[in-house]
Amino acid sequence: MLVVDVLVIGAGPAGSSAAKHAALNGAEVLMIDKKSEIGVPKRCAEGVSKEGLKQLGIEPNPRWITKELSGVRMVSPNGTDVILDEDKVKLPEAGYILERKVFDKFMAMDAARAGAQIMVKTLATGLKREGDRVIVSAEHMDHEFEIQAKIIIAADGPESRVGRWAGLKTGTKPKNMESCAQFEMVNVEMKEPDCIEFHFGSVAPGGYAWIFPKGDDLANVGLGILNTLTEKTAYQHLLEFVDNNPATQNAQPVELNIGGDPVGGVIKDLVADNVLVVGDAAGMVNPLTGGGITSGMTGGRIAGEVAAKAVKDEAWSAKDMKEYKKLCQEEVADSFKKYLKTKEYLLSLSDEELDSIAEAFQETDFDVINTSEIVKKLVKVSPKALLKLGKLF
Amino acid sequence: MIVKEWCMYCGECAGVCPRNLIEVRELGLRFNEEGCKDCQICIQICPVDALEK
Repeated sequence: MLVVDVLVIGAGPAGSSAAKHAALNGAEVLMIDKKSEIGVPKRCAEGVSKEGLKQLGIEPNPRWITKELSGVRMVSPNGTDVILDEDKVKLPEAGYILERKVFDKFMAMDAARAGAQIMVKTLATGLKREGDRVIVSAEHMDHEFEIQAKIIIAADGPESRVGRWAGLKTGTKPKNMESCAQFEMVNVEMKEPDCIEFHFGSVAPGGYAWIFPKGDDLANVGLGILNTLTEKTAYQHLLEFVDNNPATQNAQPVELNIGGDPVGGVIKDLVADNVLVVGDAAGMVNPLTGGGITSGMTGGRIAGEVAAKAVKDEAWSAKDMKEYKKLCQEEVADSFKKYLKTKEYLLSLSDEELDSIAEAFQETDFDVINTSEIVKKLVKVSPKALLKLGKLF
Repeated sequence: MIVKEWCMYCGECAGVCPRNLIEVRELGLRFNEEGCKDCQICIQICPVDALEK
């Protein structure tokens, strides 16, 4: 049996961040991932905010940045667009487009350099408690074995099985799970190649469609839908979007990505005896954009620090580690509140309402307008905006 | 549960399974059929229609 202080299950950005910070703070850390290659396949549109990376102390590296963005283009169902300059209006998940396959490996390397051990192609299959320790059963090739740990950091993504093994409610209801499909495409002809593009309305019921440029004529072209609002699959919606969008008339796919994105907000209970939940598994995803890289990594950093402290203090019950929940509330969950409200408002709009809002902003000079003025203007064309957004911005 | 050969093992089904019965492997899905109450949420949410009862 392997014996460690902290076992991190899942080597995405949140898991790697947790492993790194637990190791930096003196814990003996093992991180396992079921896949043979960390970061592959990507399940992500790859947008990340510069500010988010900066706050995590991660230096931008040309080996995992494919594109630096200057703004956002938002498109209503009839094709009317509104372009926001990144310098003028701060938007989440705007800044860089990553190469996740490289980024995720680099984050795992940071964890290893901090002292964490890593095992790939190693699947956690169950969890039990023995005294004040946890025993995780695992499989690597034909080898079945057990890992004893003081603390488990569950970073197993939208599947979020590990937290549930520990008695936490980490599962996601279908109404909170965006079902996503994306092509990485070449020959994409974007109107604004330096902007990330969002398309709203019935093109993606319950979500939005996106085109995120990756440099040259490459882009991630995808969408997320709520399957409670449409009979079609995410993939069927994607094929229609690609057929109808002007930018993709000559585009060809070089990759297909699919997956779920939990957008219901951070789960209430993040801590059990011996267990902390991080990243997508904990719902650390911006409910409006679906972006979760920096929020998951922030949760990971906090989890790593709390876990290492618990090891030092020799106290890892839920009560001993309750600080984790409080810190995640302050650093991650609180910032999601206004995005959750904005999403609710956005999803309440019909295609016609979205078109009329986009029309109303045609003559707006965003260089001289601030957020509260945007909301004021919005309320003129869409009175329910006052009810849903008025107090937030 | 029948897993079609175009399944990409994304694990979205596992995330919404209310009973946590789906094990997602690198290249495979395993269902704990014994605990299944036939809610079919996994079938409905699959982005590529790869599950069939």
